[in-house]
Amino acid sequence: MEAYLVAMAIITAIYVLLALGLNLQYGLTGLTNFGHVGFFCIGAYTAALMGQIGIPWPISFLAGAALAALAAWPLGLVSLKLRDDYFAIVSLGFSEIVRIVVTSEQWLTKGVQGITGIPKLLGFLGTGLTQSLAVLALLIAVNVLAGLANRRIVRSPFGRMIEAIRDNEEAVKALGKDPAGFKIQVLMLGAALAGVAGGFYAHYIGYIVPEQFIPLITFYVWMAIIIGGVGRISGAFAGTLILMIFLEGSRFLRGVIPFVSEVEMASIRLGIIGLALVLFTLYRPQGLMGDYTKR
Amino acid sequence: MMNRRQLLATMASTTLLATAREGFAQGAPTFRIAALNPITGSGAAYGAGMQKMILAAVEEVNAAGGAGGRKIEVVAEDTQSQPQAGVLAAKKLIEIDKVQGLIGIWSSGVALATIPLANDANILFMCTSGAPEITNPQVNSKGLVYRFNTTGDGYGRAFAEACAREGFKRPATMAFNNASGIGIVDGFRKAWEKNGGKVVEAVVYEPNQPSYRSELQKVLAAKPDVIVTGSYLPDTTIILREWFQTGDTQKWMLPGQAANPDLIKAIGPEASEGLFVVNSISNEMSTAYAKFDAAYRKAMNQPGTSNIYAAMAWDMVIVLALAMEAAGPNANVAAINAKIREIANPPGKQVSSFAEGKEALKAGKVNYDGASSAVDFNQAGDVLPDFDLSVISKGVITRKNIIKI
Repeated sequence: MEAYLVAMAIITAIYVLLALGLNLQYGLTGLTNFGHVGFFCIGAYTAALMGQIGIPWPISFLAGAALAALAAWPLGLVSLKLRDDYFAIVSLGFSEIVRIVVTSEQWLTKGVQGITGIPKLLGFLGTGLTQSLAVLALLIAVNVLAGLANRRIVRSPFGRMIEAIRDNEEAVKALGKDPAGFKIQVLMLGAALAGVAGGFYAHYIGYIVPEQFIPLITFYVWMAIIIGGVGRISGAFAGTLILMIFLEGSRFLRGVIPFVSEVEMASIRLGIIGLALVLFTLYRPQGLMGDYTKR
Repeated sequence: MMNRRQLLATMASTTLLATAREGFAQGAPTFRIAALNPITGSGAAYGAGMQKMILAAVEEVNAAGGAGGRKIEVVAEDTQSQPQAGVLAAKKLIEIDKVQGLIGIWSSGVALATIPLANDANILFMCTSGAPEITNPQVNSKGLVYRFNTTGDGYGRAFAEACAREGFKRPATMAFNNASGIGIVDGFRKAWEKNGGKVVEAVVYEPNQPSYRSELQKVLAAKPDVIVTGSYLPDTTIILREWFQTGDTQKWMLPGQAANPDLIKAIGPEASEGLFVVNSISNEMSTAYAKFDAAYRKAMNQPGTSNIYAAMAWDMVIVLALAMEAAGPNANVAAINAKIREIANPPGKQVSSFAEGKEALKAGKVNYDGASSAVDFNQAGDVLPDFDLSVISKGVITRKNIIKI
């Protein structure tokens, strides 16, 4: 039981990191990033490839974050010239390009065969509960750090500026500020967070293949921040937790719903997840942690 | 859709099943296994059938009095054909339901992500995935993993043998870009080059394209005398249609998953004339296959040939149950695992159902002859089915000869 809860908590914590990055980009700056999974993928492959040749994880995670941020830079340049909805399309295209490049560059990534045998984090603790708990503790520490850094950003002049860009970009320009640099910085910061999340993911699952990095992941993260409350740091935490409770908790419905076959149950489960999400957004459109006073 | 009467019947039978399950729980000890199948996602076409055949086979085992004095109990979870969902489902099954075996894993991605969990928990793992790494000694480190499907390597060797028999000299390959498509043509290239041959061109194509003309032109430019494909039905249909329009006359050699009556219907008898088909022989003549086919028709209202993975899932349960029976009452997973090759491989009396095997085990050794193949495992944990080479003529697929690899 404990090991299952820890596994769920680890996956949740990885998604919180992704959500924090997206919240910075969309929630605070208004960048409609539909390609978040691309940065996640870059981080995961960097960490996996470096981990396999024995480079310690702190270095490979930083490298993954750096590469993801670097990949975000040209995307940021593009975003300056595009309106919101067009940026959404371009970013979605970006994540698909990343996936196809990873699929095609077989000399490096082994293509569709995927990378197997990625070592566990903190492997000296064995493979039992202690090791999982240690990984979880590490993840929580990274999450708290990222959350605090986010809060710091929100309260700084930089934070006020990006929120101003989100609310009215023209007004920001009229005040003589240039939104371009800020947008690029935010995009790179969010991407770096996703890169770190990718590193944790690769080492935790132990096997990565391009088919894991599909747009569905991006949209899970979107669901999480919408449930939690767009633009709220606490929302990224709460939203991810609720999403995971919906996704995983629904497995235990088997015990309470009689008269359906096992096959039907799988479909019912996905239906219930969808229904719960729809009801949630219907009755609480501003999200769990959202502000009642706005909108 | 179900009508009211069917719904009532289903409700009644599930209630019965539910009460039956409680009955077991109170009575004799049970052996709990997990049906971890792709009910949704890319494997959805096969997952439901696999799961239903696991349940049907278990029912048969329990009806014969259980295995090794124990009834088998099934807990089902959906992998969504995705590694991440598969890992969480497997964690739940292992930690909360305390299952002793993960059965019916379909995609290579899910298998490779969940095998380490099975190894850590020391439980059995039976899959139908094609990726070669799965039975690599590093991955299958404890010998708990069994694969009921052909590997890409095995398929490739059969292709190479078929090409040699037909006297081809200049083969080229085309592969669908996934682990299974690439696995087939890589296996072919290895086997072909080992015999001193040369592959004149190898093209890999991305799935879900409306046209494969540029890939096709690249292959044809190398002037091959045969094109070997690691492909599926939808893409093969498009490729062959476009090839027929070019008027080229070289031959094709296709895997069974891509060439069936549906292909002939889609491209017409003229374009399909003379296509070679290499297929693993699902044990269609065996008694076990007849039993499986009947169960599949009853559960899914379709012939058993429509889902080869369901036949493998059926065999998984029977093999496991026979091993439990051979290991004796209250045997642990290690003892059961030690018996799997003994009951599945020769020597021994050939049996094709659990009840028959249970009876024969009293007298001596048995060799289970399965629905999906003869189910004989090699040291790595793979089965090596026989293949056949067929040719399509006047819209009919006719077997030419059998290939043993």
